[in-house]
Amino acid sequence: MRKALKIAWMLLLTGITALMVLPLIYMAMMSMTSNFTTTVSWDFSEYSFTNYERIFVSLDFVRYFLNSAAVVAGAILINVILGAMAGYGFAKKKFPGRNALYYGIILTMMIPGQVTLIPMYIIVSAMGLNNTHFILMLPVVNAFTVFLMTQSMMSIPDDLLEAARIDGANERITFINVVLPVARSAIVSLTIFTFITVWNDFLWPLVMVSDNHMRTMTLAVAMLRTNYGTNYGLMMAGATLVFVPPFIGYVLLQKRFVESIAMSGIKA
Amino acid sequence: MRRNKRKTDLTGYVYIAPICLVVLLMSVVPIFISLYYSFTNFDGVRAPVFTGWDNYAKLIRDPVLRASMINTLIYTVVTVPVQTVLALLLAFWLSTFRQGRWSQFIRGTLFVPVIASSMVAGIIWRAFMGPTGLINEALGLLSIPAVTFLDINHALMSACIVTVWRNLGYFMVIYFAAILDIPKSLYESADVEGCSFGQKLVYITIPLLRASTFLIVILGTIWSFQAFDLVFSLTQGGPGFSTTTMVMTIYNTSFKQFNLGYASAQAYVLLIIIVLISFVQTKVLNRSGDGSI
Repeated sequence: MRKALKIAWMLLLTGITALMVLPLIYMAMMSMTSNFTTTVSWDFSEYSFTNYERIFVSLDFVRYFLNSAAVVAGAILINVILGAMAGYGFAKKKFPGRNALYYGIILTMMIPGQVTLIPMYIIVSAMGLNNTHFILMLPVVNAFTVFLMTQSMMSIPDDLLEAARIDGANERITFINVVLPVARSAIVSLTIFTFITVWNDFLWPLVMVSDNHMRTMTLAVAMLRTNYGTNYGLMMAGATLVFVPPFIGYVLLQKRFVESIAMSGIKA
Repeated sequence: MRRNKRKTDLTGYVYIAPICLVVLLMSVVPIFISLYYSFTNFDGVRAPVFTGWDNYAKLIRDPVLRASMINTLIYTVVTVPVQTVLALLLAFWLSTFRQGRWSQFIRGTLFVPVIASSMVAGIIWRAFMGPTGLINEALGLLSIPAVTFLDINHALMSACIVTVWRNLGYFMVIYFAAILDIPKSLYESADVEGCSFGQKLVYITIPLLRASTFLIVILGTIWSFQAFDLVFSLTQGGPGFSTTTMVMTIYNTSFKQFNLGYASAQAYVLLIIIVLISFVQTKVLNRSGDGSI
């Protein structure tokens, strides 16, 4: 009796969970039926990849995919390098004004990106940086990176750095061969977090990109919504393409993904 | 040797300089420029002219801003409690099962909407909730009349539903980790006393999760005030202004009407709200003790 009840509860929870992913399954199903209604087709013989073909061949999505990939790759590189440097500097060096600078930076976490958008638009335009991959990489390089990397670098024992110095390692070698390997775990977390944030980013590219060739994937799908708002199959194909790369990463590295994304909220 | 470690090392500046520069240029400088713009009639083309408190006086009488603030407030007041309670119930329910592959799979699956972009979430649900979308088809099978989820009366609530759907897994994971930290012995002695599921939840779990609940409520509130992507792709703020959020109003004022001075004043209202919420958060978190360098 107890066991039967337990199984009934398990089935109920499984059912609720299935309902949670139903919209995503619906998205994938709709993307493979070329229809202008929101009715989902259960006739699987009708399914085809026509929408994907159209998106890639005639709607230039190869270009948008590569734009997003380039922005994500660059953002990861910049964020990890600058973040690791800053983390090391704040956690392991002593210099005048260190604490004031650190807390000053942490304080900027309160400033939402939506509020600085207007002056940033003016500054970026004045510098001629709109419609560049570079400007799309920058917003993720922020106080959260400093916080995450500093917290993790604090656990590096001073004796380890001292030992490296005694063995004749200079600053650069110590940083690359001693500090970076020890901070590996935080670097992986920062990489995953940067990937998800930049890949899914929407408002910043919406404001900074006007050239059609420079669209990222999220912008491209928003464009589908504007230009092909009644072709649900086509929109869902675009939406699926935005969803799939993070999803593949998640399936491969589930535990790390959950950790990296969850800790982003548990900041100072 | 020991003293040597504490010696001042100016190479520290070299390490922190690049990211300090980025933060300075991307957050600190713009926040002051924004403040300056908010006292001008800047339109993005002509040089800004100082207009004193005009923009702020206009804020008070602006019906669109007022509507969007009310929308954002309703959106916050609905999503935050709903997602917090559901996340807690789900996490607690999951914690009562044996922690094996099945439990892990369920948690993993519940987290999937979190990694989807909010823009995509809006696109999916616009079709999903549409007149012939899957929800209405299912309701039709049960011979329940179709619901117009995205009309002027229901659109805001629909945006709340989609938001809860997207955030639930995130908050569930935070709660779940906190529940696992509660000593098992507490539940065991409750079992001995013959406590029910509900009693254990109310008298053991909820009080011990106060810190997590606080975090989840603050985070949910900040996210709600920053809402844009999801609502934008779900309804574009309509019908009418029924789902226009504060950020959407700021976006429209600045990048549709090019009223950058006035939009900066609107943005400052948002900034003040978010800083106040964050301030409460730091105050309370500091009381419970937190690390520092």
